[in-house]
Amino acid sequence: MNIEERTGDSAVIVSLDGRLDGTTAPDVEKQVSAIVDRGDVRIVLDCDRMSYVSSAGLRVLLLCARKCQQGGGKLAIAGLQPECLSVLEMSGFHKIIECHETSEAALAAVS
Amino acid sequence: MLTFHEEIMVLLLHDENGTFLPVSEHTLNRALTGAVLMDLAFANRIDTDPERLVVIDTTPTGDPLLDRILARIAAETGSADSRTWIETLSAEEASSEQAGTIRMAALDRLVERGVLERREEKFLWVFRARRYPTIDGKVEQEAKKRIADVLFSEEIPDPRDVALICLVDSCNILQTIFSKREIDRVEPRIEQIRKMDLIGREMAGAIADIERAIAIAAAHTF
Repeated sequence: MNIEERTGDSAVIVSLDGRLDGTTAPDVEKQVSAIVDRGDVRIVLDCDRMSYVSSAGLRVLLLCARKCQQGGGKLAIAGLQPECLSVLEMSGFHKIIECHETSEAALAAVS
Repeated sequence: MLTFHEEIMVLLLHDENGTFLPVSEHTLNRALTGAVLMDLAFANRIDTDPERLVVIDTTPTGDPLLDRILARIAAETGSADSRTWIETLSAEEASSEQAGTIRMAALDRLVERGVLERREEKFLWVFRARRYPTIDGKVEQEAKKRIADVLFSEEIPDPRDVALICLVDSCNILQTIFSKREIDRVEPRIEQIRKMDLIGREMAGAIADIERAIAIAAAHTF
């Protein structure tokens, strides 16, 4: 998985490209934790190019969202592909972590 | 930190007399199998999606029980989902060769860790009974507190607590921790949490299937 980070005016946008599974989830967790630890607690995960999410991936999404919340901020997800969105909906994650169609909408939600 | 299969055994015990809460054999086998799969998933040895359970790392965990199950799954050449594995492994757990191995392994570890003690007693001068009174009640109290903290708040839960609640819910232990009024109050939250762990979700489905089958068989018998 390719993970890219860019800092916007109101939040940090982390783009995930590839499969979010047991092999790649620890890297995502590490990167998001580092962002939160330096005080940036408003994060958008841009999942437009994320092709797959497994249970290990879901756990990391939850951990990242929890860490942002505990730091007084918020994490939102943008641009999920239909297959990934259906996994989040089936497991009810979309009711715990806000999912938006676009990065702009997700940015507005965390700001 | 306790494993999930150890935690569920602690929560299944009456602390005062060291006997087990009444949970059917079928339910317990499936719940314990689900707990072991959760342990392997949280140890990053297996991963799942709605269609498949896959081994991602065959490195032993150091826990003999988990490593036996990991090797068992890794040796299978075909593809199967979590529900199939829960049913397969729980049937093996119920078989005469391996009857009760997960629960005995969990109880042995809990005795080793000083959480429980094992007492052999005779009743009616002939029959032997084994009880497991709690020595260190902090473990149970801490688990119950984690469950309450998740259910009675709107905070984003920790994935470990989500998995524990799925296990506790599938064995109907919540009713022994909270009053009916409290459970009614947090029912929407329980409903939300029980969907969140993919293994927990399949375990609950496998338990519901077997309970339904038993109820139908019983209805035809009487």
